[in-house]
Amino acid sequence: MTLTSCSREKDVTELLALGAWPRACPPELRAHLDTCHSCRELVLVTAAFKRSRAQTAAAARLASPGALWWRAQFRCRQAAVERVGKPILGAQIFALTLYFLAAVTVVVTQAKHGIHWLGLFEKMPQFSSVSLQSLWPANLFISGVSPSILIPIVGTLILLSGALVYLVAERQ
Amino acid sequence: MTWESILPNVFTGDASRAAAPPMDSDAFAGFYERSARSLWAYLVRVSGDPALADDLMQESYVRLLCASLPDHGEVAARRYLFRIATNLLRDNWRRPRPASLEEIPEEFFAAPASGESDAQAILGPALALMRPRDRQLLWLAYAEGYSHREIAEVTGLAGAGIRLLLFRARRKIAVLLRARNPKGEKDL
Repeated sequence: MTLTSCSREKDVTELLALGAWPRACPPELRAHLDTCHSCRELVLVTAAFKRSRAQTAAAARLASPGALWWRAQFRCRQAAVERVGKPILGAQIFALTLYFLAAVTVVVTQAKHGIHWLGLFEKMPQFSSVSLQSLWPANLFISGVSPSILIPIVGTLILLSGALVYLVAERQ
Repeated sequence: MTWESILPNVFTGDASRAAAPPMDSDAFAGFYERSARSLWAYLVRVSGDPALADDLMQESYVRLLCASLPDHGEVAARRYLFRIATNLLRDNWRRPRPASLEEIPEEFFAAPASGESDAQAILGPALALMRPRDRQLLWLAYAEGYSHREIAEVTGLAGAGIRLLLFRARRKIAVLLRARNPKGEKDL
């Protein structure tokens, strides 16, 4: 198929776009149309589409712009909430993962050091009064570090890492 | 501490300001008044389904309002609107069609409305015989008067290919129009 276009097509297109066809059509362009198949085709197609557009547009049943506006407002707000919620969820997942990792590390470390878990529970009934300190014997944790120091440190690290992930995700 | 106190923007209404649509409601009403009819005509003639055209038109405006567009004026906004509508039409065509006759809405089998205009009675059946992409190209070029570059922007097709595609589509629909209305060409 060869793409041959007539040099007068531009003039015809302009007249059609202005809505001046055929009133403002010069006689020589009219005469050209009788001999040019391409221009005749252009007029036939454009006129059919323009007429159809005018008639269809006139028959349009339009929704209220106000309703559409509020629907868009609602959707924008929902999208904003979702955007903010994504980093929070990421931070929560990250913090939870860190928490489990820390817990597993403590358990594994203690298992390697040979903690006497069963012995601990065996001793429990012998306590006359159960105190918090009695539940956290020194050998439960890494030797030399008090649980009262270790727990807040790990907790703070987890919280800070969660906040850090949130900030990074929000910036992205 | 609650999430509301941490994220005041979201829950106190500041989010709506942060994600505010690019037009206010009055500007939108004016833009809608000027563009809705031509968009509906495009959707209904390309899809051939007035109910679908209603849905897609509303969705197009909502998406336009939610998009954070730079303010390049009404012409650019209108072009973007047609682009959204074109993408929605394409998504609709990609969706699986009803498999059995019972699932097809009754309107599809209804006879053309008696009030259908002459222009539509001639163009409608001819358009129905064209491929959806050709219908889009023809409507944008000859009903909306878009240039090849603008059509490429709206449809996402390569600019260089538009000319050839339009040339073929125009030739095909001209044959169909002549066949349906042989005296039409003499009236030019």
